Amino acid sequence: MYAVMDTPPFLPPQASEFAFSDASIESMVLSYDSLFWYMVVVTSIGGLAVYALLTYCCFRFAKSDTHTKPLRILGSNKLEVIWTLSPLLFFLSFFVYGARVWDKAISIPKEAAEQEYMVVGKQWMWKVQDPDGRRHINEITLCQGVAVKVTGTSEDVIHDFGVPAFRSKFDVVPGRYTAAWYKPTLVGQYHLFCDQYCGMGHSQMVGKVNVLSPEDFQQYKDGLYRTAQAQRTWAGGQMPKGPLDGSPAWQGMILFRKLQCNGCHFTQAADDPTPPKAPSLENLWMSKRELNDGRTVLGDRDYIRNAIRNPALQVRSGWKAIMPAYHSGLATEEDINNLTAYIRSLKPGDLPNRVERTPTPIGGAPKASQGEPNPKPEQPMKKEGDK
Amino acid sequence: MATATPHSPTGAPVDPPKLDYTPQAIPLPEPTPAEDRTRKHYLNHDTSLLGWIFTVDHKRIGLMYLVGVSLFFVAGAIAVGLVRTNLITPTGAILELDQYNKAFTAHGTIMLFLFLIPVIPGVLGNYLVPLMIGAKDMAFPKLNLASFYVWAFGALFFMYQLLVGGLDTGWTLYPPYSTKYSHTNVLYAGLGIFITGFSSILTGINIIATIHKMRCPGMTWGRLPLFVWAMYATSVIQLLGTPVLAVTVVMTAVEKLFGVGIFDPKLGGDPLLFQHMFWFYSHPAVYIMILPGMGVINEVLTCFSRKNIFGYAAVAWSSVGIAVVGFLVWGHHMFLAGQGYYLAMVFAFLTMLVAVPSAIKVFNWTATLYGGVISYQAPMIFAIGFIVLFTIGGLTGLFLGTMGTDIHLHDTYFVIAHFHYTMVGGMMFAWQAGLHFWWPKMTGRMYSDFWSRLAAIVMLVGFALTFLPQFVVGYMGMPRRYPNYPDEYQLYNVMSTAAAYIQGIGYAMPVFYLTASLFFGKRAGNNPYKATGLEWMVPSPPDAHNFPATPTVYFGPYEYGVPDGLSIVDKMNGHTNGVHTNGAAKQGVTSGS
Repeated sequence: MYAVMDTPPFLPPQASEFAFSDASIESMVLSYDSLFWYMVVVTSIGGLAVYALLTYCCFRFAKSDTHTKPLRILGSNKLEVIWTLSPLLFFLSFFVYGARVWDKAISIPKEAAEQEYMVVGKQWMWKVQDPDGRRHINEITLCQGVAVKVTGTSEDVIHDFGVPAFRSKFDVVPGRYTAAWYKPTLVGQYHLFCDQYCGMGHSQMVGKVNVLSPEDFQQYKDGLYRTAQAQRTWAGGQMPKGPLDGSPAWQGMILFRKLQCNGCHFTQAADDPTPPKAPSLENLWMSKRELNDGRTVLGDRDYIRNAIRNPALQVRSGWKAIMPAYHSGLATEEDINNLTAYIRSLKPGDLPNRVERTPTPIGGAPKASQGEPNPKPEQPMKKEGDK
Repeated sequence: MATATPHSPTGAPVDPPKLDYTPQAIPLPEPTPAEDRTRKHYLNHDTSLLGWIFTVDHKRIGLMYLVGVSLFFVAGAIAVGLVRTNLITPTGAILELDQYNKAFTAHGTIMLFLFLIPVIPGVLGNYLVPLMIGAKDMAFPKLNLASFYVWAFGALFFMYQLLVGGLDTGWTLYPPYSTKYSHTNVLYAGLGIFITGFSSILTGINIIATIHKMRCPGMTWGRLPLFVWAMYATSVIQLLGTPVLAVTVVMTAVEKLFGVGIFDPKLGGDPLLFQHMFWFYSHPAVYIMILPGMGVINEVLTCFSRKNIFGYAAVAWSSVGIAVVGFLVWGHHMFLAGQGYYLAMVFAFLTMLVAVPSAIKVFNWTATLYGGVISYQAPMIFAIGFIVLFTIGGLTGLFLGTMGTDIHLHDTYFVIAHFHYTMVGGMMFAWQAGLHFWWPKMTGRMYSDFWSRLAAIVMLVGFALTFLPQFVVGYMGMPRRYPNYPDEYQLYNVMSTAAAYIQGIGYAMPVFYLTASLFFGKRAGNNPYKATGLEWMVPSPPDAHNFPATPTVYFGPYEYGVPDGLSIVDKMNGHTNGVHTNGAAKQGVTSGS
């Protein structure tokens, strides 16, 4: 649909019509990168001309035994006029061209205004609300090829909603509304930055811009996107037992394999001589757990969290204290919430075997802290990596 | 027929000195080595402590500024050392988030308010303007001393706020962050800015008055060295712009202390008002920083290429043009802040106009080298480095002044790289060029030729490699003021940091060889570079009152090329030749076209 130039890795991706589009001559000329590279070429020629002249003079007129007499030149009005007017001409071309591109950037098309995302900046997060009302933190999901408007304001200080892949940026100012519009052209996941210094967590005020294909976006709107993602994640592999719906339990299931919990807590497979090294977690939720110091505790949220964070404190009777402690660098509180949901969901026979791994989806493995694969694994993200 | 010069000891006709250039006035004789050792000059005529503390000698005040700004440069450099080291890893190598914010704020505020703004006006402006125009001192010597102490007093507040916990707002102090949400020492820093601002105003007044009223006979406006023209333009900006900054700071303090709603929208204020007022000063302030540097470059380039400046009038008036138009472009810092559509257009248009005088200067400097006899001592290497780096700094500024391109580049590392290319690549190199050029005049001693050239090259290479990667990473989208950043930007940050260390070594080198020159350097003599300006007509270091008698100026400032018969010798003997008759010389036609 959109032919997008391949950009080398040291350039940002061109993910919106404004960044670059060759759909028509007009959209190509009025795209950001056309203006940028026009200016790069003109200023480079100007700069290199000065450098060439400078280099020539520095070598040609260097003092030597034979070259000792300087010329007496006071100036030339003709040259002054030439080198006043010729830069001015190019500078004015930058101004006119730049103003046209600016005009395109801030003139919000009618169809974009109908798809209005609301953004509220707050120290230090982005609160985003979709046109249909769903809210997200630090994440905005857009549809490829559909122009949208993003309107922003701030609850406290000045922020700036910047998406380099779209070549877009606007200050988010308390007490007033500012806006930008995008027409994403390239499916992928891109950086969202706060570009206006806003205090201690300024560099933490970052997020993701997901651009989904129209089919994926329809599923996203229907609330089925995560399910579809899950099915895609296991496409080609054996479907695991357990939830498949993008729920916390599903995310916990991915984490359980990723953190290699099933290296010890597993169901012994028929062809596997190794017995489990740790107790089964099936039927754990709200059961009475006997510990090897004689205590009996309830298998609730607190128990599971302690068993992950500090396993040596409550070892199940009959087992050795071999489990390493998972501090917050290995598993965040959100991760533990998801793992708890998974353990809670486990039915007899659900616990995976020792060697079962999460198949790596094409396009990169999900991160432990997010438990979420890339939005579209078939098409690996091309330009900006998942942080 | 001139019977004798004032410097002829016997009254007999002076044996005309054989010069291959034409100084602006008749040079004083070189002191003999014996005289030189016992000579009383401005450094040793009164060595008591009070003689320094209450001195009204513009040269001593210049040296006091030199010590002050050098200390603050070190402080600012330490801060940026922390910043760059922290940026080696994407998650921050050594600092916590708030420590990083305080470090870059300290770097910005110290370097701008305590180094870049005072350095050339304070040191070279004070030292050289009276010497260059043939005056005994500034127009208001006591005011001059007062402006130093006001500056030092303001600097104390900066130091105090650093010691009690620092400031984390960035040097821009944008409300409502600075007035409501920052829990750091905004008020002390504001007081520091307010007070040092007065020093800037007083220096500006003094220099303007000096240039208007204290020029020696024959020193017409057309014969002023271009450094003096640049200082004049700078002083006008200081005088007109700084009060607005002071007002802005007061308004910020009133809002912070008494909760009066000026900028904070929750109290009914408007945060954009602050930005308009702040940039009304702070954009011209970048010209306060760069114009004196451009002035220095004129002096150094002409001397080391033995050439008249190409287009004296164009260079002089371009300084004035920058000073005037520079006041009308502040809104280009706010394209994305939500200012009006047509307002942005006007500012963008004027920004393109203000770029032209800088381009004119670069072209004139390059043309000045044409046909010269160029030698490459350290000041010249710094000056050539200035042209190379300032060209990049100026051209990349166009990307930020163009409305379309600014959308993506605003507040990224592209901005950081751009203004460091102008402020460090431009101003810092001009400062080094000026310091090295006039060091023999100030101290009477020559520094090591080898080490000074090496330092210039190390600084040049280190500088270019530090900031070139930042253009790339800025275009990729890396925002400024980010202690943590996505992994794919790491390569560029590591390159930048590594080169910053090289740069640091470069800046440290002059400390050693310049200090060593004070003790071991060979005596410089009156005019080690055979320059034409009035400051070189007197012994080094100069006498307490500069000139034994008020000099008379016969020629333009850069008569290095020797046309037939145009020489001070002829003037001494009453000869005139060709178009350069006495009358013509008095009308100032020896320079310009």
